[in-house]
Formats: sequence, C-alpha cells, structure tokens
Amino acid sequence: MLEYLAYLSIMTGIYGILSLSLNLQYGFGGLANFGQVGFFCLGAYTSTLIVVLVKGPFILGLLGGIIAAGLFGWLISIPTANLKEDYWAIATLAAAEIVRLFFLNEDWIFGKGPYHGGAFGIGGIPRPLQSWFSATTYPFFYLCIVILCLIVTYFVIRLVTDSPFGRVLKAMREGDELPLAMGKNVGKYRMKVMALGGATGGLAGSLVAHFWSFIDPYAFMPIETFVVWAMVVVGGKGNNLGALVGAIIIQFFYSSTQFLKDYIPIDPQVLASLRMVLIGVLIVLVMLFMNEGLVKERKRIYR
Amino acid sequence: MPVAQIIINSIIRASELSLIALGLTLVYGLLKFSNFAHTEYAVIGVYLALIFNVYLGLDIFTSALLSAVITGFIAISFDRMIFRRLRKSSAIVLSVTSLGLAIAVRNMIRAIWGAEPRSYTIGLQEPLIFFGIRLTPVQIWIIVTAAVFMVAFHLLLHKTKLGKAMRASSDNPALAQASGIATEKVVVWVWFIASSFAAVGGILIALETYLLPYMGFAIIIPVFCATILGGIGNPYGAMLGALALGFAENFGLYLNFGNIFNLWGLFDVMKEIHIPTGYRDAISFGILIVILLIRPSGILGGRD
Amino acid sequence: MIMLEVVDVHKSFGGIKALDGVSLGVERGSVTGLIGPNGSGKTTLFNVISGFYTKDAGKVYLGGERIDELAPDEVARKGVGRTFQISQAPEKMTVLENMLLAPKGQMGEGLWNALFGKRRVLNQERHNLEKALGLLNSVELIDLRNEYAANLSGGQKKLLALGRILMAEPEIILLDEPTAGVNPTLNKSLMRLIEDLRRAGKTFFLVDHNMKVISEICDKVCVLDFGKKIAEGTPREIQENEEVLEAYLSGSSKKWTQKVGIDS
Repeated sequence: MLEYLAYLSIMTGIYGILSLSLNLQYGFGGLANFGQVGFFCLGAYTSTLIVVLVKGPFILGLLGGIIAAGLFGWLISIPTANLKEDYWAIATLAAAEIVRLFFLNEDWIFGKGPYHGGAFGIGGIPRPLQSWFSATTYPFFYLCIVILCLIVTYFVIRLVTDSPFGRVLKAMREGDELPLAMGKNVGKYRMKVMALGGATGGLAGSLVAHFWSFIDPYAFMPIETFVVWAMVVVGGKGNNLGALVGAIIIQFFYSSTQFLKDYIPIDPQVLASLRMVLIGVLIVLVMLFMNEGLVKERKRIYR
Repeated sequence: MPVAQIIINSIIRASELSLIALGLTLVYGLLKFSNFAHTEYAVIGVYLALIFNVYLGLDIFTSALLSAVITGFIAISFDRMIFRRLRKSSAIVLSVTSLGLAIAVRNMIRAIWGAEPRSYTIGLQEPLIFFGIRLTPVQIWIIVTAAVFMVAFHLLLHKTKLGKAMRASSDNPALAQASGIATEKVVVWVWFIASSFAAVGGILIALETYLLPYMGFAIIIPVFCATILGGIGNPYGAMLGALALGFAENFGLYLNFGNIFNLWGLFDVMKEIHIPTGYRDAISFGILIVILLIRPSGILGGRD
Repeated sequence: MIMLEVVDVHKSFGGIKALDGVSLGVERGSVTGLIGPNGSGKTTLFNVISGFYTKDAGKVYLGGERIDELAPDEVARKGVGRTFQISQAPEKMTVLENMLLAPKGQMGEGLWNALFGKRRVLNQERHNLEKALGLLNSVELIDLRNEYAANLSGGQKKLLALGRILMAEPEIILLDEPTAGVNPTLNKSLMRLIEDLRRAGKTFFLVDHNMKVISEICDKVCVLDFGKKIAEGTPREIQENEEVLEAYLSGSSKKWTQKVGIDS
C-alpha cells in the first residue's frame, strides 16, 4: 500500500511539473499550447537516448531532456507573433504529434540490440542509483528526486512570474498594443516563455522515463496534454499554487477511481473510459461556472 | 499503382473530409471559434447509424439520414447548454471548452461500445475494375453523396433566405442583428447543418473503413488542415481544402521525391525517396503548420 | 527646434488613401494639436509615427533620427510615448503594476536577471516604485493604486495612461483623444497636468475633437482632411480659416460648429 502511495506521489509530482509548465505558458503567457505532451515526449526520449545509447549518467540525461525540449519550445514559439491564439493551439497539437510520429517511426536511432525503439518502445532504461536500494525502498528514493525537481521548478517559475518579466507577460496576455507601446519586444518574451515552458516539460519527461524504465510512443498521445489542461484549468490558471492543486486533484481523482473497480461491478475498460468522460465534463463545467479555477490569480499589492 | 487509381483515392478521401470540413468552417465563420468537438459530431452520427443499421436492421440510407438529423439536434442542445453561455468569451476559452466536450463524448462512446472496430451491414462489396482502376460501389456512393451534399449546400447558401441570413451573419454579425436578421436563429440552423453534414461525412468514412470510438480524433487535424488551407470561414474554401489535402496525402506517399534530387535521372544518385507510409498522417500535420506559417488566411482568403 | 518631423507620408488601406502626403513638424517643448473630421487620418498618422502601421512612403524623424522603419516597441524605446483612444487596461493588473510596467531598461525584465540578479532587480523596483507613487499623486490616483486598473472609470483610465507614459520619460508624448469620455472636473486636472508638464519642458502632440481644449492648451494646430494637411497655425488662426470650416461643414456637421462655438 505504502509503495503504491509512493508511486502515486511520484506521478503526481511529475504531473505537477507539467502543470506548472503549462500554467506558465497559458496562465501567465497567454499561450494556449495544445502540444504540451510534445515536451514530455521529447524530454523522455532525449534523456533515454543519452543514458541508454551513449551510456551517460542520469544527470546528463536530465539535462539533455531539458535542453532538447527547451529548444523545441523556442522553435514553436516563432510563429506566435502572427498567429491567432486558437490557430497556434492547433499548430502545437500538430507539432507534438509530429514529434511522436518521429519516435514511432525512427527506431533506428536507438540502434540494435535490446533497445528496439519505434512502436515496441524502449525498455531497460537504467534508474539512477538503483543498486543502492532494494526494490521496495527505491520508489521512496526516486520520490525524493521528483520532489526536489518539483520544488526547484516551482521556485524558478515563481521567481520568473513575480519579477518584472512576469509583469510584462501579464500585460501581453490581453493584447500586444500596450506592451509594445511601452517598448517591450513582445515576440522575444513569448519565445523565452516557451523555452522555459519547454524546458520544464522536458524535465518531467526525463523523470518519467527513468521512473517507468520503459517508454513507448503510446504513452505520449495528445490525451496527456488535455489531462494537464484539466489540471491547469481546474486548479486555477495564472496561479502557480493553483497549478499544483489542480495536479493533485486530477491525479487523486484518477487513482481513486482505480480502487472503485473492486467495488463497482463494471468492466475496468469501461471504468477507464468513464474516468475520461468525467475529466471532459469537469473541464466543461469549470469553464462554464468557475472560469478562474479553484485558486484564483493573486493580486499584486505593494507596500 | 496507376496514377488514375491515386486520383480516385484522392477524390474519395476528399469526399470524406469535405463535409466535415464544411461544417467546421461554417461554425467558425459564424461564432469565431475553433470547435475541437466538431469531429465528435461525426462520431456521434456514425454510432447512431450503427444503432439504426445493425441493431434495428434499417438500411444504411435511412440510418444515415436519421442519425444525421438526430446529430443535428444533439449539436443544438450542446450549444444551448454550453456554448451559448460563452458567446462573449475569448476564442481560447471556447476551444478549451470544446476540448472538454470532445473528451467526454468520445470516451462516452468508448464506454458504451468498447474499443473494437465495428462495421455496418452493407453486404459484400464487389469492386468494379476498369481501366486498371478498382472501385467499390460504396466508394462511388461516397463520392456521389459528397457531391450531392455540396451542391445542396451551395443552393442553400445562395438561393434561400436562410442562406442569405447565414452569409450576412457571418460577414457582419452586428449589422445583421441590427437589421433584424435573427442571428440566434441562424446560429441554431448553422449548428444543425454543420453537425449533420459532419455526421454524414463520418458515416462515409466508416463505410469505407470501420467504426472506432477515437475515429473523430484521428481526423481532427486533417479536417482542420483542410479548413484552414482553404480559408477558414469560407465554405468553398473547405471544399477546396479537402480536395487539395486528399490529393496531397495520396500523391505525397506515391511521389518519388528522389526525382527532384537527381533531376529525373540526370544524376545517378538518390534514386528512390518516398515519404514513409508511417508518416502518412504527418502530411496533413505538416501542411497545416506550413500554411499557418506562410498564409494563415488560406487559399481563398477566408473571412477574418 | 523640431522634435518630431513628418515628411510626405502616404498610407493606404486597400483602395482607401488614409494619408496623402502629410508633412508637419512638432516643436520641442510645445503642445501641438491635430484635428480634422472623422476619417481624416489622425489616428492613422499616430499609428504610423509610433510604428504600429507601416507607411507606404515618406519619412518620420525624431530629434533628427529616422524612426519610420522601426517596430513599435523600438519606436517606444527611442522616446515616443503614446496613448490609445480606448485606454488599455489589462484586467488582472493593478494601477501600480501598470505604472511599474512602463519604465525603460528594467533589468528584471530579462530572464537571467529575474532569476539570478534578485538584489539588483529589487533595488531598481524600489526606485521605480517611489517614482510611480509620486506620479500617481500628481494624477490623483494614489488612493486607487492597488485597484485593478480595469475597474477604473474612463476618465481615471486616461489619467493612468498619462501617468504610465510619464514613467517612461519619453521625448514626445502622443495623446489620442485624451478628453474623450472624461467628465469636466477630471478634464480640468488633465489639462492642468499637461500645462505643468509643458512648462517642465515636455513635448505633446495631441488629437482631440474638443475645440475648447485645443484652443486652451495648444500652441499650434494642424488640420487634416481626407489624409491631407489643409491648414496649420495657432488655434485662433485655425478657427477663422475658411478651408477648415468647409472641411468640417461638408461632412455632416453644421451642428458641430455650433456646438463648439464657431460662428458660421
């Protein structure tokens, strides 16, 4: 039971990072990224590549995932200047799918041997310091790593959003005219936000790859993006704590219904689908009746 | 594969996408948001037709008609319950809401029918073979149905009072409302037409392949691509975009890009470069991104 | 000394010529007005000067330097401050936050500094905060400093816009209809503020429909009609100018001249 809680907490922590990342992009930056899973995927695969193929250490894998996804974020931000928000959303959806398709098709990059790649996924991803712990205690160690990364991510994003940089983001959200008239290069800000959003998304991806020890393209379908959207929207956009609250709530909801299958005589497949139905309904309800989410954006008071 | 077959395949694919793309662009033109639940209307129609055709034993035409009409009413009620309350919200709020709706709908269908593929009962299909082309009767029906619906739509748009109101409301909603064209009524009709067309489009796809709960999501990007490519908000653009995409997808896999590199045999290098079939979907994704980068208003300019 | 110089600027939208060879100059330390019937191109000219529209032809100089090829944020950094006809007030930002948005060269706006230069950034913030509080006092918005800017009245938003611009210490201030929708008392405060600032050496270029305001505070007035400059001079000279009256009358507004007090 305790081990299951550790597992749950690790996944909550990883989704918490994804949620903070998306909240930065959308809640603060006004950028509706429908391709968040692309960062997750890129981070996971890059980290795996580095650790499995090049036999690099875990830290290097982590860094690689962060950088690769950060670069990708910077890249997809380039057309934001000219695109309306919902067009850009569709474009990011497509971009994330292209990333996934790439890893689905290009199994050769993982070489021959036990690492098949492609649709078969990649297994045997070594976990950091696995030999130091027993099978039962290892999850708790990994939980510490995840919590550490979550805390760092939270502080970095919090620092950024509380700073004058964050102030410009808030102004940009509702239109470019004012910040431009104040001399702010709006395009550059968007690129930086997406790079940071991408980097944090990539961090989450690296963490998940080493935790699961196995990844395949089917773990990075667009539905993951939408689950993170549910977290941001329910928890409270424009509020970092809200992003975390949303992650906890949605994760809790997800896993608690897993237990229901022991008590409700419904086929587990059907239960899984119903779970997703509820997520969809939750998004709609929140958008209709509680637009700001549970934890509203804070007002910045001086003195 | 002879070129003629590829052309036929392109037209079939275009036919399947055109009706759905038309619906998407209609809703965008009037309400100014990208409805991510649009392709789910197609799936609703598809599974309703399943009920009529397989469970109730009706023939496919009646089933299709009935489910198109019912889907229309379902779309109207979704608008009543959800989108109408958000008329004044930003495009993104509407899109995210429609996303939630889409997730709920497709998973509801999955919960009810499970993930296995299903088929309609339409009897064995004997392909006609002529001039080296294979064509099944169903495929002929797909092309014919799409053509008929598009002509009907054109007549609706230009020869009826409703069509006039639709055009006016889409071009200038404030003026239309001020001059007494009942915009909310137009909205109801647009939802009905858009979703029933989508239902028919979905049924056409299901006829040729099979029914799957996630089929709506599988085509969402190609449909958006066709719509935006042709010029969002412009119904003829949607038709054009679907045609262009149908050809792009089929010829995209067929064409030997190696010819460009070795200048059709001039140089003895890179003889065969094809887009791998695993990237078939990526063709529409790629076109979408390119179009959004260089000409977001699409071929026919659209109405933004 | 000419602060802002517009030389033969043309701008068309589709088939419509909004600006048809406009040339004018704004003296340093003056309050220059720009008037004209609706659709004469006033806001278009503002947009071209501030870089929000790209001109078709012509040049714009700020203090002798060409600025017509620059992006709007670059023009702003060069020292052109402008307000918008509809006051911009981001919903979730307080009055103070709006003020703090404006100063140029804020280190904390760079990602690196935001993360690693906390102390320097805080110092700068404190300095800017003091300045902002002082300015808010002069525009009489000090009590509303922690209110969401979107909750302000129309007139208060205009004052905020002016305060915001002043935070950036611009070379020239373009005001687009500063008195539109503002009640008379607030209007007086606005006018007084502009007078004080002019005396302190600031340069203003403003568009307004209120001839009373124009004649009270402007040293010089330029008149546009159908994208062309048809007159230039003191407010007195303009009011007596035949062509100007023609331009306004031939539109719709005999009522307009009566309302504004010009005998015809």
